[in-house]
Amino acid sequence: MIGVVSYLVFFLTIAAILAIAVLGLNLHWGNTGLFNGGIAAFFGMGAYMTIILGGTPQAGQFGGFGLTYPMALAGGVGASGLLAWLVGVATLKLRHDYLAIATFGVAVAFESFVRNTEWLTGGAKGLRGFERPLEAAIGDPFLFNLCFLVFVLLVLAAVTYGLGRLIRSPYGRLLRAIREDEDAARSLGKNPARTRLASFIAGSMIIGTSGGLYATFYAFVSPDDVLPILTFQIWAMLIVGGAGNTKGALLGAFAIWAAWTGSGWVLARLAPVEMQLYTGTMQYILIGLVIVGMLLWRPQGLLPERLVISQSGGGAARRSAQSV
Amino acid sequence: MKMSHTGIRTAAIVAAAALSALAAAPGIARAEACTIRIGAVLPTSVDWGRPIAATAQFAVEVANKAGGVNGCKVEMLLRDTQTQAKVGVDAAKAMVDIDKVPVILGAVSSGVSMPILTSVTVPAGVMQMSCCSSSTSFTRLAAAGKTKGLWFRTFATSRVQTSMGAMLAKEKGYKKVAVFYKNDDWGQDMVKLVSADLKSVGIEVTAAVPINDGQPSYRAEVTKALNPRPDALYLALYPKEGIAVVREWISLGGSRKMVVANSLKSDDFRKGVGIKYLGDLVGTDTSSPRTKSASAFVELYKSRFKKEPNGPGLANSYDATMVVLLAMQAAGKGAGGAAIAAKVAAVTDPGGTPVEANVDGFKKASALLKAGKTVNYQGATGAVKFDRNGDVSAPAVVWTFTDSGVKETRYIALEDVNAFIAKLK
Repeated sequence: MIGVVSYLVFFLTIAAILAIAVLGLNLHWGNTGLFNGGIAAFFGMGAYMTIILGGTPQAGQFGGFGLTYPMALAGGVGASGLLAWLVGVATLKLRHDYLAIATFGVAVAFESFVRNTEWLTGGAKGLRGFERPLEAAIGDPFLFNLCFLVFVLLVLAAVTYGLGRLIRSPYGRLLRAIREDEDAARSLGKNPARTRLASFIAGSMIIGTSGGLYATFYAFVSPDDVLPILTFQIWAMLIVGGAGNTKGALLGAFAIWAAWTGSGWVLARLAPVEMQLYTGTMQYILIGLVIVGMLLWRPQGLLPERLVISQSGGGAARRSAQSV
Repeated sequence: MKMSHTGIRTAAIVAAAALSALAAAPGIARAEACTIRIGAVLPTSVDWGRPIAATAQFAVEVANKAGGVNGCKVEMLLRDTQTQAKVGVDAAKAMVDIDKVPVILGAVSSGVSMPILTSVTVPAGVMQMSCCSSSTSFTRLAAAGKTKGLWFRTFATSRVQTSMGAMLAKEKGYKKVAVFYKNDDWGQDMVKLVSADLKSVGIEVTAAVPINDGQPSYRAEVTKALNPRPDALYLALYPKEGIAVVREWISLGGSRKMVVANSLKSDDFRKGVGIKYLGDLVGTDTSSPRTKSASAFVELYKSRFKKEPNGPGLANSYDATMVVLLAMQAAGKGAGGAAIAAKVAAVTDPGGTPVEANVDGFKKASALLKAGKTVNYQGATGAVKFDRNGDVSAPAVVWTFTDSGVKETRYIALEDVNAFIAKLK
């Protein structure tokens, strides 16, 4: 029984870390209508910078500045914000598909950079030598994982609460206005370009936080962690869960990660011995079926966005509208 | 177009039926006296990963034919890593926590083996044996005491290959060599080592070109290497990319003189390029000492898979699994990861009785180990012996291609390999 609990703690930690990234993407796409195809770049920037700043010095490896953990994580978040600012200034004039391709290109360039710049990022062998915060003090591995899960859940709760407040605020209405009709927003004196950039940077910093926590948990990062499949996974989580609302984003993250890992576990259990070699390939098919199935069943997502129609008129206006 | 409810219901019923058919299929729930489990986390969804997993399964079959381990049938739980760290680590964690395996075989890429090692196996006291992770980071991690003696790999350090490659290039009189390397942790290691080794013997490295997997064309990379007109090539590639690069290279008029690593010791490569272009190619590999055990494994493999065991990681995978199973036999029933790891030395003792890597060898070894004696496992990659960091080094062999396969032309004993490496420094 303790084994199952130990595994669940581990599973929930990763799901929660990915959920933070999904919330960042939700701010981009769900709230502001920005199609960010380069999640992996911001995730990776957070991860790499956290390890470079917070790691212990290792022979033949750059970094190891040994900063305290909060500083290292903040550095990672800040670095992804900086990257988002640079990318945003360059690409946010683009819309929809073009923005998607441009940001995807940024992610591919980032992965290429970390894979080839061996002196800075360790190349394909990645960066290690990160001491997980308080691990030595806690001692017991299960207890450490539990404490780390609590920490990640606290960060997730903080981000959820912060974004929830943001969405219900006037700033949230501004984001939705820009998403729905930019010209109308501009005609009311709002600055869509600046708002879009601010939202892009904020969402990317949230994704960077997720990357930093990911690198902390594994105490290791390599170019294989920032491949396009990560962008796909986060997108799938958002779309299946329901873009545009926080609860949907969270549900999608846990559901898709459960499907991703569960499919492997189920296939390993049920497939006959002769087929064991092919369970890996079958797992991809199964994951695809789950995602497609969920979208066929509920294309708007598991928890669709409830559109808020701001009515300042109150009861009379609504009644007259209904009678029409 | 909205799918009707009946449509979705039918699809769900069909899916459920398919899954239950899989579950009810024969070959799953066999009532056995006892079963012990080991876990394997390997990239089975990648083309070169599947043969590695198949060879590991084959080693388990051999052990079961020889009577199993500690009188129990061995079952290998195989999970895919998808070459993603988080998927591989999750699979390993599930096997360690839920299936309670004492040993994990895996993974292949260092980017997956490392997080498994640091977040799953070492904290849980589970032994981890990798067939194919090449990064020097593991040696440093072990030397710093962070692996607690639980980490081993049957992947001989790349230094053996690159130093022998440099020696061959020098003997053949090449003055300028261009290097093509696979752009992953193994390839990046190889290019660093081989460039240093080639320079030490006075050969100029005119270009070191990374090759990324799965590109439709390598013309740009080949042109870059072609310009300085090198005498020969050094290749640290896997067969699929190797074929594409070499064909492009030869068709653009590049030199046919090549020195290659053991990853290209593959029938696919020979057939894909064509033997008439491979006359001037020499390759290096790690080898067994000149005993008949080396051919014992090859014959065994050929009788099972109907082809030669040529391909990256196959022999290493076999040895990794066999050493693990023999160590479990030596450690006794119900032993945990640390106890099994402690018995690896008893299985690879140079002073122990030599045993071959087949069914008879396993039976002989089991009996000796149960009696408390030590054995010297003669594996597919050589007389495997781990140093205190879990690394192996091995004697080397030089090979060339023939019309029908591969021919080993020269054997270089371990002492000579080490002496040459020392001279290079």
